[in-house]
Amino acid sequence: MSDERHYLDNEEKTVVIVMTSGPSQRHRCATPFYMAAIMASMDAQVKVFFTMEGVRLCQKGVPEQLTAMDGGKTIIEFMRDAKAAGAKFYMCRPAMPGYEIEVDEVIAEVDELSSGGELADLILSSDKALFF
Amino acid sequence: MECNGCEFRHELYYDAEYQIWVRVEEGGELAVGMTDISQSIAGKILHVRVRRPGTLRPAGKPVATIESGKWAGPVPNLFDCTIAGANTTVLEYPSLLNRQPYESWIARVRPAQSVEQALQVLVTGDAAWAGYQERCRKDGITCKRLTA
Repeated sequence: MSDERHYLDNEEKTVVIVMTSGPSQRHRCATPFYMAAIMASMDAQVKVFFTMEGVRLCQKGVPEQLTAMDGGKTIIEFMRDAKAAGAKFYMCRPAMPGYEIEVDEVIAEVDELSSGGELADLILSSDKALFF
Repeated sequence: MECNGCEFRHELYYDAEYQIWVRVEEGGELAVGMTDISQSIAGKILHVRVRRPGTLRPAGKPVATIESGKWAGPVPNLFDCTIAGANTTVLEYPSLLNRQPYESWIARVRPAQSVEQALQVLVTGDAAWAGYQERCRKDGITCKRLTA
């Protein structure tokens, strides 16, 4: 058998990724979804919770136009890769008015609109919580 | 056979999204690899990690993970199986998947039920060719093989 690093034998975990970065920090907007895709592929139950400026990534027209670097893949493509791997997306409903986002402007990739209390539950109940 | 330059092998079995191919091997095992469509979407593959041989994998739980510079995702699994082995050449040289996707199997699995039952959830032959072309055209996928 070759190098041990090529083999996966991790147990199933739950992970919440709290996405607070948005278009003003575009360079921080791709890697969290890349990581979400990897972890979901490794049997982790991955939930991405968008809050603060992160909710802008859930607004139609924003992630389709945004790239982490010039000429790179769009953020919506990274988000769709994470979804295809099994990640679930939650959007902070209380953050929406501050960014003037209406419910009908939310991208289809979002699974649920959630409260701050639900984010607290996710953080407290998950094996790992990551903040970007 | 090819569509938008993406090669199709008529004799193989495929998932409904044409992400993986499956080939019947001796001894009741199945080889699993990435299609030309998948390697084109992923770009140059940098890392492949396979579930440890002997691990039980229920349907829906990936057999491996793939990483390129711009894409990360699973090698899906559609039936209950046990990992029988990994292609150590591909683990060491992952970009083989971009050069010879149909020669470079990733993992071998042993289905929990019969091989015939496992293959029932996959598509093959003319039906697969029709679906493969539809996927290429619908998503505008063109082949991006590494040649060097």
